[in-house]
Amino acid sequence: MTIAMQPLQLSHFQSLLLFALIISLAFGTLGRRQPIERLKYAAWSFAMFVLIAIALGWLMYPFSR
Amino acid sequence: MPEDTTQSNRKVQSEVVTEPAHGATAAADLHHAKHSGASEARAIATALAGWLIPGMGHALLKMWGRAVTVLLTVAFLVYLGAGMRGNLFSPGGDDAFARLGYAADIGTGSLYYLARALESTGPDVSHADGDYGTRFLATAGVLNLLAALHAYEAARRRKA
Repeated sequence: MTIAMQPLQLSHFQSLLLFALIISLAFGTLGRRQPIERLKYAAWSFAMFVLIAIALGWLMYPFSR
Repeated sequence: MPEDTTQSNRKVQSEVVTEPAHGATAAADLHHAKHSGASEARAIATALAGWLIPGMGHALLKMWGRAVTVLLTVAFLVYLGAGMRGNLFSPGGDDAFARLGYAADIGTGSLYYLARALESTGPDVSHADGDYGTRFLATAGVLNLLAALHAYEAARRRKA
């Protein structure tokens, strides 16, 4: 069985944001019990994903050309 | 050696006195072993259900918030990965990377076959989108395995 599906076109940054958001939500929900704690952990995880990815991107920039 | 004899008698007496206690402990241990065996089997069944249908492990434990979150995150990652035409590995890969990729992909359980159905045009990793899609699919599998392990631990009451 196949389902017709339009290919998704996302930029690098959109992919990064989506990935970080989804994984952070899962980490927050699985890792903490209280709603506030979950939100804090998810926000912290999301920020770390994005900031570290941007930092690594800039670190690799000199070797990109 | 009268002292030795006295000590020996005391030791025998203490063993006789403590024998019923040992018997009770043994019965309690047997009961505990039976109970923990059943609990272990239930925990494994919970983990398997969670692996086959993302979120089902937590749903069986009535952890509704976690069940819905696991289902939505894993399903959304699979949808994005397949939509970006990521590589969905097949069993019996030629090299270690393909086998490892399959192990990660099959971690999504039944959603692996949904991803196969969604990717009607096949993978395309000649662009960055396809490469990202491959990672999304693998992450969905690993995340679902992590959730199944969490459900197993919760079923054994080690974690809540």
